[in-house]
Amino acid sequence: MRKLIILVTLFTLVIAAVADARIRVKGRGDRMNFDPDSIPANYRASFDLMSRKCVKCHTMERTVIAVQTGRAPITGQPFDRQAVKAYGIKMLRKPNSNMNKQEIREVVILLNYLLDENAR
Amino acid sequence: MTRKPALILCLIGSCLVQLIVVASSHAIPAFSRAYKVECSTCHTIYPELNEYGEAFLKNSYVYFGKGQKAAKAKEAPPTPKATAKPAGGTMEVKGEGDADKLSKLKGGALGAPEASAPAPAQEAAATAPDTAPGGEAKPEGLLLAAIPELLPISFTASIHATYDHNAVNELDLSTRALKLNAGGNFREKAAFFATYVAYSEGLRDNNTTTSAPLRNNGTDINELFVIWRHAFDTPINFKVGRMQPKLGLWKSNNKLSTTNSFAPYAYTVGVSEFKLEQPQDALEANAVLANRFFVAAGVVNRKDQNTKEGYGHISYKFGGADYLANEPEVDLAKEESIFDFLTVTVGAYGYYGKNGTPNTPTGVSPPIQNSYYRAGADLDILYKLFRLRVAGVLGKDDNAYLNLSSTPIELKSYVAAVEGEYTFLQNLIGALRFEYQDDGRGLVRRFIPTLAYAPLQNVKIALEYKHEIVTSYRFPSNGSSIKRPDDTAQDITNKIGTLGVTFSF
Repeated sequence: MRKLIILVTLFTLVIAAVADARIRVKGRGDRMNFDPDSIPANYRASFDLMSRKCVKCHTMERTVIAVQTGRAPITGQPFDRQAVKAYGIKMLRKPNSNMNKQEIREVVILLNYLLDENAR
Repeated sequence: MTRKPALILCLIGSCLVQLIVVASSHAIPAFSRAYKVECSTCHTIYPELNEYGEAFLKNSYVYFGKGQKAAKAKEAPPTPKATAKPAGGTMEVKGEGDADKLSKLKGGALGAPEASAPAPAQEAAATAPDTAPGGEAKPEGLLLAAIPELLPISFTASIHATYDHNAVNELDLSTRALKLNAGGNFREKAAFFATYVAYSEGLRDNNTTTSAPLRNNGTDINELFVIWRHAFDTPINFKVGRMQPKLGLWKSNNKLSTTNSFAPYAYTVGVSEFKLEQPQDALEANAVLANRFFVAAGVVNRKDQNTKEGYGHISYKFGGADYLANEPEVDLAKEESIFDFLTVTVGAYGYYGKNGTPNTPTGVSPPIQNSYYRAGADLDILYKLFRLRVAGVLGKDDNAYLNLSSTPIELKSYVAAVEGEYTFLQNLIGALRFEYQDDGRGLVRRFIPTLAYAPLQNVKIALEYKHEIVTSYRFPSNGSSIKRPDDTAQDITNKIGTLGVTFSF
């Protein structure tokens, strides 16, 4: 009985923690993305920009997994603030990425925010 | 002397170029399979490399950062050894498996030094030596045996249709090639690469009148070498086997065109078959120094020849990602600058060698030798969607026609190529090249526009045209067997168009 109570308590805490997470994810597979409703208003424009531009070459699933796990899903490399900046520079320099420095900067700031939120 | 022999010579040459489209490769789906990455990670349009592909190549086929990562990898907190206390006894019985020891062994397998401080969970997970790119754990047995998890083999096929204005058969739909490629690394300590030409279109048998398809031109190992990576924990890699010596900035196939090699790398002089892109049996040492400086030097051993040949290469990269694929420092808070997007790579090289009749077998006396050298410089400029490549080489052969007489003919050669490239779309790139070739036999100028399209990342359709103006030197008609360049020249124009499909799997 005591075990059951402990299990129920733990399960409740886990559910509560997930429910309390400020950054939620919607969809699965190729349709996976951060839930726009969980993005603060001041980041909404950056989020729209990211969702529109980044999917030119890869799905948002890659970005979501990288933020959630702290690792880039393809390379297995750490996905932290330093990596976010490096990826931003890489995308800036990538031919036909069609992103300028200002746009890259906004996306980098947004990803840093998402990383911080995920670490909570 | 009329134009006919020179014309025939040019036709044969152009046919051979079309038939021997079996340049070595460095772009193989085996890497894509092993690392679970797209072709576009390392290529613009296959097989042309982007700067990350260059970094992968220079890192001996080890995925970016993995070597550094392994070097920085921290040992996970030691796991308590398996112990068991038998019932009723006090004797401690150790289990056969020692997780701590195995962890060290696996760490050592990837060159991870022992460290006392435990790593944070995230970092430890990311730097675990038995974690493959993609974050998946490699099977322990395969890891310890250093065997690649996937068979690192792939194929490249090319099918071309060629239109030659001067040929009897103007439109040729039968130029095909099939290559087998293999490459990879063994626990990041050693690497290997091989290219085997399984099929290339043979020449037509003039004696047959049947409708039989052309025979195989012959199978051949184009490249087969092994690399001892970071020997003795230094940045130096030792490469041995059959390989293209590291001379120019780009390997023979690292270009948009599928049929037209860069003249500075592909030209020959006199009867000598030497060309810079020719695979050689060699031992090479190379290293990336200070992330942006690349040096290579090697010794070539020619069959049946005591004299060894030597070569060297240096190159430096300004701007862009460095040779270890680290991104440049760009301040995102500042206004855009030209230097945010500009990458300039400069390289220089030299090669000294001898060829001719063998000098080691008995009965061959005296050996007829041709001593030659090549000295060249390359420049690669990348700015946003533009790329400019400049290559130049000068050479000297002291007996280019392997003359038996006491007065060998010395030939100097001057060859250059300039190619501009523009990326219209990620999968559509155009290039325009001009080549100037004075090889002592004549003066050749080529204009080569190329348009490459990749409907899929592993499928390339290339449309090429070569406008070639050949000013052949006339040779004396005094009955002498020695060909001597003359000042009198005549022009021949070749027009060759090619539509080719290349695919890898």
